[in-house]
Amino acid sequence: MRWMMRVLLALSVAGVGFSAAAQTPRDIIAAADKVRNPGQPFRSTNTLTEYVSGQPRNQDQLVVYAKEDPATHQFRNLVRYTEPPRDAGKIALFSTPNLWFYDPASKASVRISPQQRLIGQAAIGDVLTVNLAVDYTGTLLGNETITDPEHQQRQCWHLDLQAATDSAIYRRVEYWVEHGSFRPVKAKFYSDSGRLLKILYYRSFREQLGAMRPAEAIIIDAVNSSLVTTIAFGNLRFQDIPEAWFQRDYLPRLPKE
Amino acid sequence: MRIARFAALLGFMHVAFPALAADQDQDLQFIPQAVQQAPPAAVPAATAIDTNRNYLEDAFSLTPQRGNLAVPFPSPAPSRWEDRLFLDSRDEWRLRDNLRLTYSGRFNLRAANDLDFPSHQTVLNEVREAYLTWRPVEGAWLDLGRVNLKSGVAVGFNPTDFFRTRSVVEPLTVDPTVLREDRLGTLMLRGQYIWPGGSVTLAYAPRVTQPTAIYNHIELPSFDPMLDRTNAQNRFLLKVSPELHGAFSVEGLLYQGGNRTQIGANLTASVGQRTIAYLEWAGGADAGLIQDALAYGRQTGSFPANAPAPLPADSASRFRNEVSLGFSYVPAGTRLTLNIEYHYNGAGMTQQAWHNWFAAAARRGNIPGVYNALWYIRSYAVDQQQLLSQHTAFVRAAWVDAFVPKLDITALANVSLQDGSGLTQITADYYLSRNWTVGGLASVTFGGRRSDFGSLPQAGGILLRLVRYL
Repeated sequence: MRWMMRVLLALSVAGVGFSAAAQTPRDIIAAADKVRNPGQPFRSTNTLTEYVSGQPRNQDQLVVYAKEDPATHQFRNLVRYTEPPRDAGKIALFSTPNLWFYDPASKASVRISPQQRLIGQAAIGDVLTVNLAVDYTGTLLGNETITDPEHQQRQCWHLDLQAATDSAIYRRVEYWVEHGSFRPVKAKFYSDSGRLLKILYYRSFREQLGAMRPAEAIIIDAVNSSLVTTIAFGNLRFQDIPEAWFQRDYLPRLPKE
Repeated sequence: MRIARFAALLGFMHVAFPALAADQDQDLQFIPQAVQQAPPAAVPAATAIDTNRNYLEDAFSLTPQRGNLAVPFPSPAPSRWEDRLFLDSRDEWRLRDNLRLTYSGRFNLRAANDLDFPSHQTVLNEVREAYLTWRPVEGAWLDLGRVNLKSGVAVGFNPTDFFRTRSVVEPLTVDPTVLREDRLGTLMLRGQYIWPGGSVTLAYAPRVTQPTAIYNHIELPSFDPMLDRTNAQNRFLLKVSPELHGAFSVEGLLYQGGNRTQIGANLTASVGQRTIAYLEWAGGADAGLIQDALAYGRQTGSFPANAPAPLPADSASRFRNEVSLGFSYVPAGTRLTLNIEYHYNGAGMTQQAWHNWFAAAARRGNIPGVYNALWYIRSYAVDQQQLLSQHTAFVRAAWVDAFVPKLDITALANVSLQDGSGLTQITADYYLSRNWTVGGLASVTFGGRRSDFGSLPQAGGILLRLVRYL
């Protein structure tokens, strides 16, 4: 009888708690960060397509420059709008807590609060390169098999992330990361009051910047589910980004090549 | 039995997860078919980033006017209606690796109730900027030409924006953020060096012409670059911005325009997740708004050189401060940004000065030229983009995706804290498509007949606009 108990116990651990024993939640989140973000400075051209009730309605395009801060291990981002024409040339600097927005029409740089990452054109917070392991503390909720947007079954760790720093964009995130590959599959973002704001799926993993990385994200507006935005990550390339770029006065001087 | 119960529990645990996962898979139903079937959006091949912005706009405005003014307004009165069709351009060309050419301007065609059509007044070309930028080494730039050099961290009033004087030509709105978008630059040589520890800017704008009288809307030159507005005196600016990489930012400025020297500072602080606090200050010796206006009027021939002052004024040249103190705030669960500011202009009109202004009109209005001189003081403040009253409050709310997606609404109020009069304006812009925007604004001035805003000839305004981005 005892050996049967031991076998059942071993089976239950293997079935429910598999890999978690070997990986802490922080390890899992950090490994998923490495799938999304390369370790060197890079830039990408992100195309955001907004669908309203299933129909494409608007398209925005942004060039994002990202570089990890060696002191905090969090990314600093520069975001330049290229589409639509009414927003072309606007630039946002995110080097927490140093956040600025530059409009070439008024030639003025305005300091913005962390919350303003979530308003304005195309919710800049959705395109920023972020290491979640830096801003959040994770808890493993369990293991789940979920379906990804390409209708593939993915064995995932289901994690609960709570904001641990002031620079965290959302207060709470539910996160699904695939066993073995550490690919991020899905995330749910919550407001301070606990309201579900957005559901995000990654898809179209392909070789980019030396690893298999998602080429697209799908964001469902949980408040109004008829609004869906896709973000295509294109033209990724490593680029040297001097430290001087991450200050307000550099924004009007940002190179256009 | 116990084993059986335990095994059953384990079995339940194993089937419970797929049940949870099935709940998660419900979210996939929200992904539209078009997205499920579409490959990732094609991203154009990496080329130079195009940030040029050109658009065609037609703006039609009505300006209801107030009757029975406390102080009669001299002619020409503001236009009752105006239609303006303009091409607004902002372009940049790369000439060499380290040499660029920038142009920014607006070509207007105007029609109004008090303008002959067609006439030379129909055409108004504003060259906002035209300059060459040379980058001799990484982090250093030299700009030569007409440059819009702006400073300041506040929204409603920028004391450190020293090159703002006389730069705005016939604005369509009183929103200060829009006023900054359409103003003339100054002919200058500007050098800037930026390194990881901060930046330093030095600018010299030469005097190339004499000061001229204040323009009115029916006497604007068609193609003249209007350098008399921007380069009628020698001006220098030194600006130093150390990079603090923290929740605070600081900037120091030293400015000299003609024989007047001012110093200034800009401070910002990030407070929590939703608030930015800021302070903008400038100070220097000055004789005060009334004295400055009358001196400028005499210098430019608007009054005889020996014309007496129409009202008593504190004309002592002493150190006077200009301040904008405020904060921006994002209320929880909204896409709204609120700015609240207090403005102080030490050179502006005190309560006593306002009393004198109205009293002079009542007592001496029968003397030719008195009304002209009194209104000239106010025109001078507008032309200089200086606050007329000493103490004002400013509130601005910008709401993105208001009520429906792609509708932006901006509301603002500018209130004199001395007499409670003010101006409110609401603007709405709806982005019909990538290239088309339709918008409108309505404004109202309020206050007693003998108050700052209540004595204006404009009771308010309505404007409708249609924009086509090219």
